[in-house]
Amino acid sequence: MGIAIHGAHKAYRSRRKQPIAALTEVDLHVARGELMVVVGPSGSGKSTLLRATAGLEALDAGRIEIGGRDVTTAAPGDRDISLVFQDYALFPHLTVAENIAFGQRARGVPKTQITTDVAQAATMLGLTAALARYPRELSGGERQRVALARAMIRRPKAFLLDEPLASLDPDLRLRTRAEIRELQRRLGVSMLYVTHDQTEALALGDRIAVVRAGRIEQVGTPDELYSRPSTAFIARFIGTLPMNLLPPEALGRENGPVTGIRPERTHLAHAGHGHLTGRIAAVEPSGEETVLHVVCPDTTRILVRVPSSDGVPRPGSETGITWSNADEHHFASAEGPRTA
Amino acid sequence: MTVHQEARVRRRARLRGSTAGRALAACMVGVVFSFPLAIMAVGSLRKPGLPPPGGLELLPDVLWSGNYETAAGLIPLGQQLLNSVLVVSTAVPVTVLVASWAGFAIAMARPAVRRLLIGIALVVLSMPASAMWVPRKVMLEQLGLTDHALVVALPAVMGTTPFYVLLFAFAYHRIPRSLYEVAAVEQASVFRIWRSVAFPLARPTMFAVAALAFAAYWGNFIDPLILLTTEDDWPLALGLRALSALEPTLHPLYMAAAVMATAPAALAFLAAQRALAPRRDLET
Repeated sequence: MGIAIHGAHKAYRSRRKQPIAALTEVDLHVARGELMVVVGPSGSGKSTLLRATAGLEALDAGRIEIGGRDVTTAAPGDRDISLVFQDYALFPHLTVAENIAFGQRARGVPKTQITTDVAQAATMLGLTAALARYPRELSGGERQRVALARAMIRRPKAFLLDEPLASLDPDLRLRTRAEIRELQRRLGVSMLYVTHDQTEALALGDRIAVVRAGRIEQVGTPDELYSRPSTAFIARFIGTLPMNLLPPEALGRENGPVTGIRPERTHLAHAGHGHLTGRIAAVEPSGEETVLHVVCPDTTRILVRVPSSDGVPRPGSETGITWSNADEHHFASAEGPRTA
Repeated sequence: MTVHQEARVRRRARLRGSTAGRALAACMVGVVFSFPLAIMAVGSLRKPGLPPPGGLELLPDVLWSGNYETAAGLIPLGQQLLNSVLVVSTAVPVTVLVASWAGFAIAMARPAVRRLLIGIALVVLSMPASAMWVPRKVMLEQLGLTDHALVVALPAVMGTTPFYVLLFAFAYHRIPRSLYEVAAVEQASVFRIWRSVAFPLARPTMFAVAALAFAAYWGNFIDPLILLTTEDDWPLALGLRALSALEPTLHPLYMAAAVMATAPAALAFLAAQRALAPRRDLET
């Protein structure tokens, strides 16, 4: 077992001494060598979960095991983990080599061994030429790699990463994402990766845990989360475009479940045909595909993604929208659980 | 020239202007504060026994350097200089260490505890120093710790003043928390985090506290006056005080001794100038 979190509960006190739950009954199991992404909106408790796993926050209740050992009350340094922060947390007064070697020195590893380990980590992450430089002399991507090198040099049982790509530009983010994935596979280490970016989560995770308001709403593979979201919230949150959630009235029913349909599963039809008809309010071309914002007479807004090669309709025109019934998802309410 | 280039040129011109303005203001402040030092240095070169000058004297008619030798003969200047050096070389590093540790403890404490400790430090800081003179003398007498030049350095074991502790606490608090946290995860002990992360990054504060502590201990004559009865144990500042009782026409001797007492402090401050300048280290 890599990381096991059982019944984790954590509450903070507000200024008025009111308890605010950051984590409620969280159970999460990360297998050995698995990359688990914890994703959720801001303030959902995902960073608290990571910090509690690292020992930087004490749990009010619950248990944490790393590598099969109960570390609930262990100090951060005794958990055999490595941590990478969003701001990289590089020591600005130390060179790259000294930053990478910091932990080894603290642990009293012999100097010759440290030199070998630093050289090895630097080679693996392409930092050999930067070893004598200071963090302020590095690019964002290089700083990120130094933080990773410092984390991997001790060969920990688990890697914890807190939004490690948030400060990078989109190009570099894409490249570093692939490097992190490759590094994790090569080292075969368990990784708990926190992000608010669902695209990053889908691209990186062996499995993804979606956190909302301190609770885990669903844990599953990227495909499971995309194709069978367990709640309407996850349906909206996961996916390049949020799933369309249609109240029964929009489909001419008096009651019944909320129907979900992904924008990429919808098709255009002639006005007055298909499941719905509406007016195209906005057109967003994005290369090979175009996203249409369609407003139905009852003000329901629907996103439709169509191939640009099909010909893009003009804003203001009427269009019908259709889809296969097999692609429908059903939820108890706009925030509720899946019913079918 | 493009719009961007023009904007860049204008920005540079503005920066040059503001840098020159700041330098001019600093020079003016420097002139104002160095004026008494200049009067002291010029006064030390005036022949003793002459009537005082009628007005502002830029340079005496006759330059007389013998005042330095005569002043050294009137008081045990060498011994007192040695005492002062002993006090400062003990008190300054101890003050820096203790204030730094106490500041680190405050910075690392939970927010509620930190607020409490800062509050206590401020209360202690607001107490007048004179309120401690008699209690301190009584306490040290009972402990048999009077009549040694180093007694004056004893407050250093408590960081000298809560002000220095607060300076360190605020400096450590400004360091990103993630640096401490990543060091803790990397199995660094609290002492190692202080030594390898916090203290090096608070270097300007360390030099500022060292300079302030140096000036405080070097110029302190109240504590030696209360605690030390033997003239041979006195530091230079107290010996200097004795010279100030000379008649006005002998004041050049006092000025010469004052120059000798001031020079080490001024030189130490000048030497620390570069270290006091802000560093770009924290720009990660």
